[in-house]
Amino acid sequence: MARATEAIIFRGTVVAALAAAVLAPVGLIIYQSFLSGPFFDPTATVGWDAFGFIFTDPDFYSAFGVTVIFAIGVVAIAVPLGAALAFLLTRTDLIGRKILEPLALVPMFLSAIVLGFGYTVSLGPSGLVSLGAERIFGFVPWNIYGLGGLILFGGLTHVPHVYLYASAAMRNIASDMEEAARTTGAGIWQVAWHVTWPLTFPALIFASMLNVLLAFESFGLPLILGDPAGTVVLTTYIYKLTALLGVPSYQLMAAVAVVLLALTFPLVFIQRRLLAQSRRYVTVGGKGARATRIHLGPTMQCVALAGVALWLLLAVVFPIGGIVVRAFVSAWGRGINIFEHLTLDNFRQLLIVPALARSLTNTVILAVVGGAIAVGAYLLVALAGHRWRGRFSSAIDYLVLLPKALPGLVVGLSFFWVFLFVPALQPLRPTLISLLIAYTIVGLSYGFRMIQANLLQVSPDLEEAARTAGATTGQTWRSVVVPIIRPGLIGAWTMMIIVFLREYATGVYLMTNGTEVLGSMIVSMIAGGSVDMIAALSFISIVFTLGGFVLALRLGVRVNE
Amino acid sequence: MSDLIVRNVHKRLGALAVLKGASFSGSKGQIVALLGASGSGKTTLLRCIAGLETPEKGKIEIGGTKVLDADSSLILPPERRDIGLVFQSYALWPHRTVKENVAFGLQLRGVPSSEANARVVAMLEKLGLAHLADRYPFQLSGGQQQRVAICRALVYNPKVLLLDEPLSNLDAKLREEARFWIRKLILDLEICAVMVTHDQGEALAMADKILLLKDGHIIQEGSPKAMYSAPETFYAAEFLGTNNIITGHAAWVDGDAVRICGNGWELDGVSRGDTLKGDADAVKAVIRVEALAVSERPTIGLKMSLEASMYLGDRWEHRLRMGDLVVRAYGPDELSSPEVWCTFPQERLWVFPAESP
Repeated sequence: MARATEAIIFRGTVVAALAAAVLAPVGLIIYQSFLSGPFFDPTATVGWDAFGFIFTDPDFYSAFGVTVIFAIGVVAIAVPLGAALAFLLTRTDLIGRKILEPLALVPMFLSAIVLGFGYTVSLGPSGLVSLGAERIFGFVPWNIYGLGGLILFGGLTHVPHVYLYASAAMRNIASDMEEAARTTGAGIWQVAWHVTWPLTFPALIFASMLNVLLAFESFGLPLILGDPAGTVVLTTYIYKLTALLGVPSYQLMAAVAVVLLALTFPLVFIQRRLLAQSRRYVTVGGKGARATRIHLGPTMQCVALAGVALWLLLAVVFPIGGIVVRAFVSAWGRGINIFEHLTLDNFRQLLIVPALARSLTNTVILAVVGGAIAVGAYLLVALAGHRWRGRFSSAIDYLVLLPKALPGLVVGLSFFWVFLFVPALQPLRPTLISLLIAYTIVGLSYGFRMIQANLLQVSPDLEEAARTAGATTGQTWRSVVVPIIRPGLIGAWTMMIIVFLREYATGVYLMTNGTEVLGSMIVSMIAGGSVDMIAALSFISIVFTLGGFVLALRLGVRVNE
Repeated sequence: MSDLIVRNVHKRLGALAVLKGASFSGSKGQIVALLGASGSGKTTLLRCIAGLETPEKGKIEIGGTKVLDADSSLILPPERRDIGLVFQSYALWPHRTVKENVAFGLQLRGVPSSEANARVVAMLEKLGLAHLADRYPFQLSGGQQQRVAICRALVYNPKVLLLDEPLSNLDAKLREEARFWIRKLILDLEICAVMVTHDQGEALAMADKILLLKDGHIIQEGSPKAMYSAPETFYAAEFLGTNNIITGHAAWVDGDAVRICGNGWELDGVSRGDTLKGDADAVKAVIRVEALAVSERPTIGLKMSLEASMYLGDRWEHRLRMGDLVVRAYGPDELSSPEVWCTFPQERLWVFPAESP
């Protein structure tokens, strides 16, 4: 019986630790939302005061409405475009699809705060592209600020999330399914309509739900594109509460966070349901997908390529290009030749200001070292749930899903409170460890699924062979399971590096003097308007993320969930 | 009149020549089996007929219509070939009910929905599936899925029915039933059918004509009976049935008659395929296991020692040896004497040159 106990102790410990790490911040938010003041204020009483305040605040209702419209708008733009892109790249002989495939994912890997800043410097009122347009038309024919711009660019930058799921679904359709329709008498477009499209449909529903969730949790784009025009969503409403009232109004922030949770939490579970249901659509086909690609004529090629190019221009080239140029000039404007203003000063400033220099090293440490530690933690959780049919095995599933419903901003805020609230943890708050814990929770759902997928591919026979040869569960994991999935762990590590590099919202409340991180530094500087430094930081952020992205592609990591 | 004519089809997949000039024809109410080991090109040939692969050379006609003529670069796409294809995996569309799966071909052909409905129901009834019409494929058993796949391929009366290993996903009992009813269905409908299989039992039981493929060539074609009892090559002789392979030398050759000998034994046989040139050639011979007769009492046959007798249920298998000659034979009874006499009927001992393929 000694062997059975070993596994039970391990599993029990992991589930308890996971529950503490996930439930403590959520519990604290809920608790705080029912107090009349900050939790450390001894005069605070329990009651509905905080909800009473926000439910009578017209700004809250406006933020709520804007959030819903924003989410609908993002879905309306991202889903059709993502589906079309997936169809073009997986089902047709579009020229250059090999290069377009990785390019199409780029917006997903960049920090939303960096993308948003990129739009400001390229398409904003005095942006590089706007100045060009002004020279031609005499005025700037667009305004990126406000709900319209927010929806447009939010939609365009969320296309990769849809593309990823739609293309995976289209690739998974067994070629038999389509060949059967061809031999039955269907032409290529009839096959696309009657077979390919219906089999992709569940994936699109799933992607729509995901985008609604992402839109609800979105913070960077609304902060940059919405805020200047007074367009506030729920996340920016939370962020602005402090500035608005001048005092730390924790109970109000908590109340809004609880409302947000009430919206996102059901979404996460509906999503899970959908995913389980879509399994039955997984085609039990035979051979691999050597499907015949649809031949596009010259006209169709041009139309499709022009469409893809326009999207890439708006979602990748303009924001990144704007930042690249802005990072290397001191100023631009009407009648200024930017080639006369080329400079490296923006980067030199980063070295002079200690907080900025620190933010770079901190970010790299958090991503590389922290990413590895996070993968180790996810591995422990995944192993605890691996081939476990105990009473609490589904608890792991639910605990892992919960952080998906929390925007990074809220996770950071709640951990900030946890580190204030629990005396034993207070010494950790001004260290990178506090950030690492919060980051690990933010990436939990994604990282866990990646490792779980790897574990499920290990044949049970291999494990049973080790057990019958005399190994305990622990020995089996150490000497058989973990070595087999090592390539998968390295892949997961690379992905976590990227996820941590681009993270910006989690550190907003959590970082302090000495634990600055790149993305959150940009957030804090947005209001201050030191464009030179933000441009330099954004440029470095892009270089970091693209470096991680290239590394992931080199290692052959499949960049989908 | 031939409903299907395939002429000199060549197909490469990358650097590999998969088909090197396949030709055959099939007519109404005839089942043609493409038989061969894996990698022989049989599935590729079927996919070329269906239009799912494009051969570099060759001509294909279906129901009097040219569907492929590589010389004049005429290539009809699969949907315009008027064929029905039953996939090995069945490839039923998971988002459509049984009825919708079967009706699809009729919809595409613009059949009015009332008529289409009647034809679908009639077809499903014929195969005993009418009560499953509103189910989804994943709610069906393997055998039911297979029948739906056949309904789907037949409902619009295609000129040619193509079947890719149709029985391979069924269990043994269902498979024997399916051999019977699929053959009966095709004969009743008087349709031309082409079936790919690697199972000789299936080909012999179901086909009117067997094409034996090897390395992209059709090495022999004929009725199942002719293929089994008169193979033209060593490969064909050895591929079908359960066989003894005997190697030795030709002692003398007289027309078709050959005497082969080895270490202390001599056997009379007939030469098949390439004629043997002369005496003392190295030869190999094939004789079916069931052709040998073994007796404990002396006969005109060869005296051999009994190494083992194994009980197979309906018969016994005996392992016999005489010097370097080792053979297997069947018999109704257990043998116990260490010395037995084995008869090799001359007509059924087929002798080939040792270097023949």
